[in-house]
Amino acid sequence: MSVERAGETVPETVVEEIRELPKRFQPGSRSAVMPALDLVQEELGYLTPAAMSQVAEALEIDPGYVEGVASFYSLFHLEPVGKHHFYVCNNLSCQLRGAEEILTHLKDAIGVGEYGEISQDGLFSCEPVECLGACEYAPVLRYHHRFHYDLTDAAVDKLIAAARGKRRDGKD
Amino acid sequence: MAKTELRGSHGPAPDHVLTRWIGIENLARIGVYEKQGGYRSWKKAMTELEPAELTNEVKISGLRGRGGAGFPTGIKWGFLPPPDGGPRFVVVNADESEPGTAKDRYLMENNPHQLVEGILIACRAVSAQQAWIYIRGEYDLQHLAVQAAIDEARAAGYIGEKPYGVDFPVDIQLFRGHGAYICGEETALLESLEGKRAQPRSRPPFPAVKGAWGRPTLLNNVETLSTLPWIIEKGGAEYAKFGTEKSHGTRLFTVSGDVRKPGNYEMELGRPFRDLIEGMAGGARPGRKIKAWWPGGSSAPVLTGDLLDTPSDLEALAAAGSMGGSGGVIVADDTRCVVRMAYRLMQFYARESCGKCTPCRVGGNWAVRTYERVLSGHGTADDLALFDRVQSGLAAGRCLCGLGDAAGWVIQWTMARFREEYEEHCLRNECSVEGGGRAQPLPSTAASGDLPPPEGRKLAHA
Ligand SMILES: Cc1cc2nc3c(=O)[nH]c(=O)nc-3n(C[C@H](O)[C@H](O)[C@H](O)COP(=O)(O)O)c2cc1C
Ligand code: SF4
Ligand code: FES
Repeated sequence: MSVERAGETVPETVVEEIRELPKRFQPGSRSAVMPALDLVQEELGYLTPAAMSQVAEALEIDPGYVEGVASFYSLFHLEPVGKHHFYVCNNLSCQLRGAEEILTHLKDAIGVGEYGEISQDGLFSCEPVECLGACEYAPVLRYHHRFHYDLTDAAVDKLIAAARGKRRDGKD
Repeated sequence: MAKTELRGSHGPAPDHVLTRWIGIENLARIGVYEKQGGYRSWKKAMTELEPAELTNEVKISGLRGRGGAGFPTGIKWGFLPPPDGGPRFVVVNADESEPGTAKDRYLMENNPHQLVEGILIACRAVSAQQAWIYIRGEYDLQHLAVQAAIDEARAAGYIGEKPYGVDFPVDIQLFRGHGAYICGEETALLESLEGKRAQPRSRPPFPAVKGAWGRPTLLNNVETLSTLPWIIEKGGAEYAKFGTEKSHGTRLFTVSGDVRKPGNYEMELGRPFRDLIEGMAGGARPGRKIKAWWPGGSSAPVLTGDLLDTPSDLEALAAAGSMGGSGGVIVADDTRCVVRMAYRLMQFYARESCGKCTPCRVGGNWAVRTYERVLSGHGTADDLALFDRVQSGLAAGRCLCGLGDAAGWVIQWTMARFREEYEEHCLRNECSVEGGGRAQPLPSTAASGDLPPPEGRKLAHA
């Protein structure tokens, strides 16, 4: 790569996968950018500048464009997150059923003061998010690509305890 | 998919169009779906009816879009120009991010083949050979369920080169969203599908003429499309028997918040909300009274608890001073402070503004800061005036898309309908709802503190 950019890069196998993505879309379109960023985030946990440059190069577009897209969407992380990241719904239906309390409990339980902060052991982080579209099960959180419903403090504690033996992809 | 308790309509009932088969074990598997009669409408669409006849049935049905705007579906289909040999698309709005709305999720995870069949029918009607389902990124399991249904339908030959021997190659693919409410707005959705930042386009041209990748595109919501197999099976006239004169059919409402049995309930349009909220959803918690409710997602103007007898058709809702919106019914009881709820919704709109129009970008943040001041016990009469000013700046088409209107309505209608609560907070720094006495400290997600500033990351690269 011509310009030195900070952070980890993804292995060549992932770059290969990224090069294949545009075939799914209209010729000449940029639709592959988000699926490509997904692959990077799955691999590294967040989008490093260096990896975004890899995406840009593989898709033959400007790195600034890639970052512009990445920064628009809240599911892309431009900063590191914990190995286990909790997205806790805090929109109205969940708030009416105790989402604030869940968030406070979760922060305490994983030992962070702020949303986005990573726990000292590098394992956990969390953020409040807008309506997750599962309001009949409020309060709700999303964690490792799954929803968890009818949250209680005890249910949150259980998730955290179980997580201590898991890898980044959530598998045991 | 993990077994979770079904909270909502399922099984046969006179007004179960969308949910009649939900609850049948393994309905997501094609064999089970076919056994109920699934894909018969697709066969009929391919072998018995012309594309124009499909559109006509849908016109007769009177079906109106369930995504939010309530536009007549058959008429929308008619807006696509005649085929010119180039690509045409059906784009499915499965972004479902309107607060309080979960019905598309319910349909996708419980009956994915019904959606696939509906999409195929729409493709045939408008002569589009490629469909894209834009599904919000958080719907991981639902994504897999729909993908599995597509794969099964492909293996069965329903999707592919020659469904039923007819020369109509058709394909469906999924595209994952990444956490931006604005992607539910149809032109922002198209921008996102094209790999861009999701900022709404100005119209005209409308998507029907110039949509995905500049080509004619039909955009419909998941629930709208899921209704089609029933309509093609039984006929548009049969569907039109449900509902009122102008709002035909049934609708899947999500009821959430302060009710005993939250869920997704299908109900004939025109039946009063009392049947839904007090009947199906079990009504208020013990000893509580319903004080405020949003009948169509948080973007629909709030209504007061004495209006539960309002009929659920779009016209009656408009007459009551709100709208049908997304069908997400959020219920709040008399333990809730309206100013605080408005604050939470305002944070949402400020945070999700795409930043393209000044009133929306700036006004939202102004309003959030004003709510913060008022809720922390520093409100004044000036703040009442400020709310009014911000609200009128957002109203009346000053913004490019509906998000700006919705943000303005939060202030406008909570203030109009719960004026005394605003006056308490602004003029006397009191809240008679939560514990009486002084205003409460700020909730932990104050926009100025823990949340990223609404304009921050999203606009960093504008
Ligand atoms: C801010 C905003 C958010 C929207 N979100 C959604 C959504 O999540 N899902 C949806 O189907 N329609 C949504 N809509 C409505 C769409 O723009 C569009 O009208 C609809 O998808 C058309 O499908 P229908 O005719 O089948 O209803 C939204 C509109 C606005 C202005
Ligand atoms: S009204 Fe708001 S969300 Fe809609 S286009 Fe304008 S700035 Fe973007
Ligand atoms: S408000 Fe939390 S899932 Fe909808």
